[in-house]
Amino acid sequence: MIKNLWKYRHLVKRLAVSDFKVRYKNSVLGFFWSLLEPLLMLLVLYIVFADIFPSTQENYHLFLLLGIALWDFFAKGTSMGLQGILSKPGMVRQVYIPREILIFSSSLTALMMAVLELGVFGIFMAISGLMPTSTIIYLPLIFMTIFIIVFGSSLALGALNTYYRDVQYIWAVILQAGFFASGVFIDFSTYQGDLKRLLLLNPMARILLISRDCVLYNKVVSSWDLTFCLASSLVILLIGYFIFSKLEPGFAEEV
Amino acid sequence: MDIIEAKNIWKNYKIPHEKRNTLFEILYGLLDTKMGYETFTALKDINFTVKKGEWLGVIGHNGSGKSTLLKVIANTIRPTKGKITVNGKITSFLELGVGFQPDLTAKENIKIYGAIMGLSDTEIDDRIDGILEFGGLTRFKDTKIKNFSSGMIVRLAFSTAVQIEPEILLLDEVLAVGDLDFQKKCFEVFDRYREMDKTVVYVSHDLGTVQRFCDKVLLLNHGEQIGIGSPEEMISLYKSIA
Repeated sequence: MIKNLWKYRHLVKRLAVSDFKVRYKNSVLGFFWSLLEPLLMLLVLYIVFADIFPSTQENYHLFLLLGIALWDFFAKGTSMGLQGILSKPGMVRQVYIPREILIFSSSLTALMMAVLELGVFGIFMAISGLMPTSTIIYLPLIFMTIFIIVFGSSLALGALNTYYRDVQYIWAVILQAGFFASGVFIDFSTYQGDLKRLLLLNPMARILLISRDCVLYNKVVSSWDLTFCLASSLVILLIGYFIFSKLEPGFAEEV
Repeated sequence: MDIIEAKNIWKNYKIPHEKRNTLFEILYGLLDTKMGYETFTALKDINFTVKKGEWLGVIGHNGSGKSTLLKVIANTIRPTKGKITVNGKITSFLELGVGFQPDLTAKENIKIYGAIMGLSDTEIDDRIDGILEFGGLTRFKDTKIKNFSSGMIVRLAFSTAVQIEPEILLLDEVLAVGDLDFQKKCFEVFDRYREMDKTVVYVSHDLGTVQRFCDKVLLLNHGEQIGIGSPEEMISLYKSIA
């Protein structure tokens, strides 16, 4: 698979960039729409959790925004990957390319969008007078881990959705649940015992936790947490690739 | 050297009595045992080889498996049984297209196609003008494909396919949609390819061009290989089974 991705790197780049452009070309405000969405989400959650149920979290708006940005990376990435095969019928039926390229480029588009959102987060952080500390060096590693999770899940979802079109609706519900279960607006580190252990089995929950630690609270990420996140992302990639390669031969007949 | 080698190729399609495309329908279908599917055999034990520089024509009635065979060669669908070996890079022109995306402009689509064929950015840029000119579409280079007429899409697809120097070219009914002018251009390209020793698999109902360009012809009928041989022989055989 890696050989294929390298061989077709020009195509991967082209597809990722053109998808990125198409996403924004048709709207007047272009890029700003994509940034407005997380900001509105921030506003709603902030009003609810800062005023109605006061959170004790220091810099809660940054806590929220980082959570939203990283969760969005996962949610948008997998939603785009889900359509990765179906949205390009011509490239499946009329020419042969290794089909994982379509999924990989959609994950790459999601990465570009996530970097943009992270930029907005950076601006907010600067406005709030909070400077990142040296522990921020973990952030690229965290991004890479989410990218592997997005790519792995998209391989499975994109393939399954080609055969069973309602996978997209099921996945939308799972994403809704995941938003709550990953602690986008809750600090799981204040929880104790078995509940905490259970919640942190979800790699996204753990990723959100450690990224806040290293970006906002100047804490060193434990190697156990890093290993757990990276290992689970690789397991997801392996399972995703397995499902994808089982279903791939019939894509042209199902699209 | 054999560029394409097909050995005992079979292709079955499942035709469900009711198309099930969702998990829900499949769960529902488990309760309802009456529904099932039929197997349709599109290709039955096809064998042939194509050497470098050879033109293989494929003829037969509608539904005889010509297009399925081309898709199997292109690797977009996989045979149920048998083995196909292709030595070289394939440029395919299937279902009258080369994988364009409707939301992108002509220029962007050509660039993506060039990338599929492994061309670098500068190599593509060098050819874009030639491609657009060949298809007579220079004025529409920044128009989205979805606003093209069907004739324009086919012209663009065909010119893209032939201008990006293919090694092996698969052509399915190219001439069916172009006007006389475009057909003339196509023939010029075909003549050039013959000189350049390109390998081509050519599917067509136009027996005149098959006779003119192909070295050998494969005749299919209801998925079966009736024969493979000289164009004259196969065309008269084809007429006799009509």
